[in-house]
Amino acid sequence: MTPNTISKTLICLFYSLGANFSLSGQPPTIETYVCAAINKNYVIGSKIVTTSGLHRLEPSGEWRHIGLNDPTVSAVSFDPRDPQVFYTAALNGALRTVDGGASWRIMTGWDITEPKDVCVDPHSPNTVYLAHPGGIALSNDQGMSWQACERGLPDHGKYTQTIEVDRVRPGRVLAGCESGIYLTQDHAQSWRRVLKTRETVNDIQQSPHNPNTWTAVTQSAGAWISRNSGRTWTNLPNAPTDGSLYNVAFDGTNPDRLAVGSYTFGVLTSEDGGVTWVSRNEGLPMPQRVWRVGVHPGTGHLFASVYQKAVFTSNNFGRTWKKIGLEGSAVNGFLFLSVPTSINP
Amino acid sequence: MNPLLTIVLLATLLITALVKAQPSYEGPHPNLAVVEDPTLRRTQYNERVQEVIQWRANIVERGDSEKMDLASVSANLRLGRKLDACSDRVIEMMETPGSGPFWMLPTVCVAFTGRDLLSEEAKNAIRDAWRLTYQLRGDTENHFAMYYSMLYLMSEMYPNESGDQWYTGKSSEENLAESRAYLIDWMDIMTTIGQGEFNPTHYIGEYAIPMLYLFAWAKDPEMRIRGKMVLDWLYAGLAANTINGVLRGPNARTDDSSVVERWNSLSSFFSWLNFGNCPPTRGFSWGNYYAIVADNYEVPEVIYRIATDRDIPFEQRDLKRSRHQWRYSDVGKAPIYKTSYTTSEYAVGSYQGGMADPIQTHVWDVTWKTPDPRGIHPTMFSIHPYSASKGMQAYFNVGPDTMVKAVAAEGKPSYDVADKLVGCSPYEQVFQDLDTVIALYDIPEGTRFEQVNGFFSKDLSNLTEDASGWIFAQGGSCYLAYLPLAKYEWEPHMAYQRLPSASNGYRYERVPTGSHVLISPHRRNGTILQAASVSEFASYKAFQKAVKSLPLEIELTPVPSVSMRSLRGTEIVCTFGKDPLRDGKRVDYSKWKLFEGPYLNAEKNSRKLEITHRRLKRTLDFNTLTISDTVIKEP
Repeated sequence: MTPNTISKTLICLFYSLGANFSLSGQPPTIETYVCAAINKNYVIGSKIVTTSGLHRLEPSGEWRHIGLNDPTVSAVSFDPRDPQVFYTAALNGALRTVDGGASWRIMTGWDITEPKDVCVDPHSPNTVYLAHPGGIALSNDQGMSWQACERGLPDHGKYTQTIEVDRVRPGRVLAGCESGIYLTQDHAQSWRRVLKTRETVNDIQQSPHNPNTWTAVTQSAGAWISRNSGRTWTNLPNAPTDGSLYNVAFDGTNPDRLAVGSYTFGVLTSEDGGVTWVSRNEGLPMPQRVWRVGVHPGTGHLFASVYQKAVFTSNNFGRTWKKIGLEGSAVNGFLFLSVPTSINP
Repeated sequence: MNPLLTIVLLATLLITALVKAQPSYEGPHPNLAVVEDPTLRRTQYNERVQEVIQWRANIVERGDSEKMDLASVSANLRLGRKLDACSDRVIEMMETPGSGPFWMLPTVCVAFTGRDLLSEEAKNAIRDAWRLTYQLRGDTENHFAMYYSMLYLMSEMYPNESGDQWYTGKSSEENLAESRAYLIDWMDIMTTIGQGEFNPTHYIGEYAIPMLYLFAWAKDPEMRIRGKMVLDWLYAGLAANTINGVLRGPNARTDDSSVVERWNSLSSFFSWLNFGNCPPTRGFSWGNYYAIVADNYEVPEVIYRIATDRDIPFEQRDLKRSRHQWRYSDVGKAPIYKTSYTTSEYAVGSYQGGMADPIQTHVWDVTWKTPDPRGIHPTMFSIHPYSASKGMQAYFNVGPDTMVKAVAAEGKPSYDVADKLVGCSPYEQVFQDLDTVIALYDIPEGTRFEQVNGFFSKDLSNLTEDASGWIFAQGGSCYLAYLPLAKYEWEPHMAYQRLPSASNGYRYERVPTGSHVLISPHRRNGTILQAASVSEFASYKAFQKAVKSLPLEIELTPVPSVSMRSLRGTEIVCTFGKDPLRDGKRVDYSKWKLFEGPYLNAEKNSRKLEITHRRLKRTLDFNTLTISDTVIKEP
């Protein structure tokens, strides 16, 4: 390992753990990535005439496509030691690049299909968790081999939509499944259900302000919050339950702010920690079929993907919106990556 | 006009017409006499194969009169024609490759057919496409069968290459091992707990073509014999489920056209090619890619005879399985208990109801023989038009809000339409005893489409709505009695006619066919169907009288229930949510075998199928990868 690589490794690790400094003394650059499908009416086998997959928002305001033209990418996760190494969850399985997207390898085999989420463990970046329809898989060798880690998951009801590693407590992971939220405290060796739901848990997020606070959104059970690291959950009673909530995002600049994306309700925001919610759809194209939302952790800018329309951003948490491209896209995930300025490519 | 020019023009038109003619599709129905001479059978088979190749070589890509498509390139390569043009066209097409199994399969066909014929540049263009263009594996069983068979063959063709030479990022050996492992696992499931996309009207091609390619082109003898054995397995099923080549009974997957015009599906191509007992469909569809190497295979005589040489009615019971349910179900792969009763004039087929596949399942029907099946709707059945986002989510890994619309854009236009005729429902329960079917419906309040749809063909004769509630009709030489258990009204049957589409996705318009749909808008509902041969009754009136005199009790609340005696004297009790009773005994599905009948027999989990026709027997044993033929001595 060269000194430069070691520096990159340390820097990325610190930022992934929430460290607020850089070795260069420069503030980090926060890059905005999206997993975007731009494939309206695509049918398996047809020629792909659009550019889908991972895109990065450049300082110029342009979107730069990175890596494979894959309309099925649902999530991305970076190795905190090296931003050139990242994983995607897609139709074919989990994919990995080690050179910033220039080349890829499908890391899983025939027995894992259509993973929905992938998460590199920031404490042990050789470890990668995969949420997939058949349950949860774990790799301890950067995706080269996988094992099912389902002790404690039910035989039926283990469809897993989302997985999130606790950024401060090694070994702690929360998974959103068809039948509820499951918690492991031993690196996925065993799981226990901490919230029971009738239908799928769509997203789980850890607060950037308080690592004990987590929030989750579901297909039919509304939104939930945990203030004890996911051990118990409380319903947020004013969030709607008569439609699916697709994802949730904390505002890294304001601990009271949350945003939810929903195909039914559009953008919902809360500015009191989830107690009350308001629609923030004015200025978005009708109908406001919001696929995902994201909040830039540096600026607090809110992003919304309107299904097969475009990506929009708001600098006042949804009161007004501005279109920023990716026409025709449906974004499956926003990711904001802290990259030290010195190694920003 | 200059006479010479006129002659040239007419000659050109004539040649064009001849070149574009598809003789078997346009000509008279094939002779149904059993071909006893094996040499003649083989000769006729080869002639049919050649007809496809010749025809396809002479037409070019649809909608573009200048350019060959991959099927046309394959056919011309097979004939050794236009080699330079084929190479040029391959190079051109490989500049914009497709993205999944429906592109991989035709490309493999060209790559292998052109191994010694294409230019180095053309072969390199194909190789580069497999290196640079990311291929999607798909999400259905037929997608996986095609994807892994094609990846297997290409990895064998280009061994010892590193991961950077493949779109997968894996080496040739890794690709080969993964593909092989999937295919063997898939065959293992099929031969132990049953086929997934069983009895398919179209998707039979998506399995038969990859298996033929493995048989013809795999270097590993194990994969070659596996390919051949699966072909035999598929065609044995096809033979036992057809009358004169036309597929009958339930289908894991079919489509809006094939479910009524039963002949009009790719399965008829395979009947035509293998058995010579029905016309092929227009354009041969994916059969073009099969024909390229079809001379490597011929159905064994025992299968040929099951398809063509039957004289007595028979009942066949098979175990199949549903598409894998990822969520919202207690069962991943649900067992499907399939029954068929087939006579020389008609067939009745069903499975027990419930979900087999989320979109395109056909649960039960009676179908009758016609002198020529083209354009005929020889079928009668009913369905609950189930449409549900959550039903989709059980099988597709998608959110709840878009899939229902998306499937319509992907070529399944009727999914969310009230008068649809394709699809299974969790609220349908079916029981069949020989040629009697009882279908019960208990549709919860608030379900989208609280109705039952029954299909009534334009080709029925003597349709009579009797005061007793029975609807009588005659289809071919089959008498039919259909009893809706609740009130109904009639609507015209509207087919889906595909329109040109400028972009990805499909467009349709609906056009009347002359057939009708019985709409019964009641949640607690049911259908009783009795079929019988015309030859069994002195008259149509006698049939009606016999049906009306059957003991019959019907309850619709709290759940639909029927207690009756069938025309064949079986006492049947069916209550929604309970196992049916036949002659007072509970029908025990747990004892269902993988195949059980006069022609096909296999124990569950056996990996071994016995195919029998009179003195001929072929055993396919996937435990030992052996095919053994036996001739039973005459007593």
